[in-house]
Amino acid sequence: MFRKPTASLCIIVLASVCIIVIGCGGDESTTGTLQFYANGEDFVRQGFVSKDGWSINFDHVYITLADIKAYQTDPPYEPRSDGSIDGKVRISLDNIYTVDLAEDGANASPIIVDECADAPVGHYNAISWKLVRAVSGPAVGYTLVMTGTAEKEGRVVDFTISIDEECENSCGEYVGDERKGMVADGGTADLEMTFHFDHIFGDAETPLDDNLNLGAIGFEPFIDMSKYGEVDINMAELHLGHVGEGHCHCLCE
Amino acid sequence: MWIRWKLVPVIIITAVLCLVLTMQVHAHGAKIEYVVDMMVEIVAMYESGEPMSGAQVVVYAPDDISTPWLTGICDDEGRYSFKPDTSMAGTYDVQVRQAGHGDIVHIPVGDGGTASGSSGGYGVGQIALMSVCVVWGFIGTGLYFLRRKA
Repeated sequence: MFRKPTASLCIIVLASVCIIVIGCGGDESTTGTLQFYANGEDFVRQGFVSKDGWSINFDHVYITLADIKAYQTDPPYEPRSDGSIDGKVRISLDNIYTVDLAEDGANASPIIVDECADAPVGHYNAISWKLVRAVSGPAVGYTLVMTGTAEKEGRVVDFTISIDEECENSCGEYVGDERKGMVADGGTADLEMTFHFDHIFGDAETPLDDNLNLGAIGFEPFIDMSKYGEVDINMAELHLGHVGEGHCHCLCE
Repeated sequence: MWIRWKLVPVIIITAVLCLVLTMQVHAHGAKIEYVVDMMVEIVAMYESGEPMSGAQVVVYAPDDISTPWLTGICDDEGRYSFKPDTSMAGTYDVQVRQAGHGDIVHIPVGDGGTASGSSGGYGVGQIALMSVCVVWGFIGTGLYFLRRKA
């Protein structure tokens, strides 16, 4: 028979084997700073030509992010597993952030979203975040708002494309020129949420029969609503969210 | 379904044991020497099945996960092979990239160079945690009924 003190002990033991879950401001003795960036890449900053020949330049690309978490996973999280991320250490940002991926022009750096100054040391090799509807600011009511100008064969149009679909991205390790997310004691590391806008509009520099362009919507449907009606966008299939070149598992409402 | 951007290559890991047999036969008596050496071979391809020929490969060894230990290029069939340092047991991380698309695969190599790779499945910690949860479920159920009797 278990007495109450024994039951309490069981609870303590159980809690001790659970993962370390902290927000920013943890009390680990060895910590560093982990910065979170959002990157729309040169497609957003410098513009590009869509698969259907429209030269697109963005004034603003507002994207709203929430529930941003970074994890130390072992074994490493595999986004194609379709499972949730199970990290032995997890840190999170509690705020909702609307950032402009086109901010500061063609040669701008990725946008810093926030940082966690007390991240336990280790390799943060997985990240998750949600695209949520903004509750204030220039993109209120939408998860993604793109404004700018497009030109094709002398025809110039100003556009505003607003998307309200909410999604959750679960990603493994950043894939790029360098490895990211390695927090040393007293040091600073970073992670990046990368957004591939060529997946929405296609890319004229990629063969038209490439799967990238076959899956992309192109730009034409967005400027001729009378012909196409409301553009049906399935964000889960477009896979906007990445970690550098690495894949994410995307679930949308 | 479109694939190229998803492209995150399907990387098939093949641990290959290459037997390099060096044999010396003497006129009087015999002496046979052999070496068992392990090679890791990856095959990187797009989800369409197209090989990532010419893709850049970067290998990170367990003792320094931030500095490339080895770099190379996939062959025409998307294959790349390397010999792990058997004195460094642990996980070798292999990153493959090409034309803005890429992926990373984590290959555990044990003492003596024995590869035990598997994607998915549960780690020891996960299994332990699940076991504790199951046990706790039984304990909790027992406590619940004991409390009702009291």
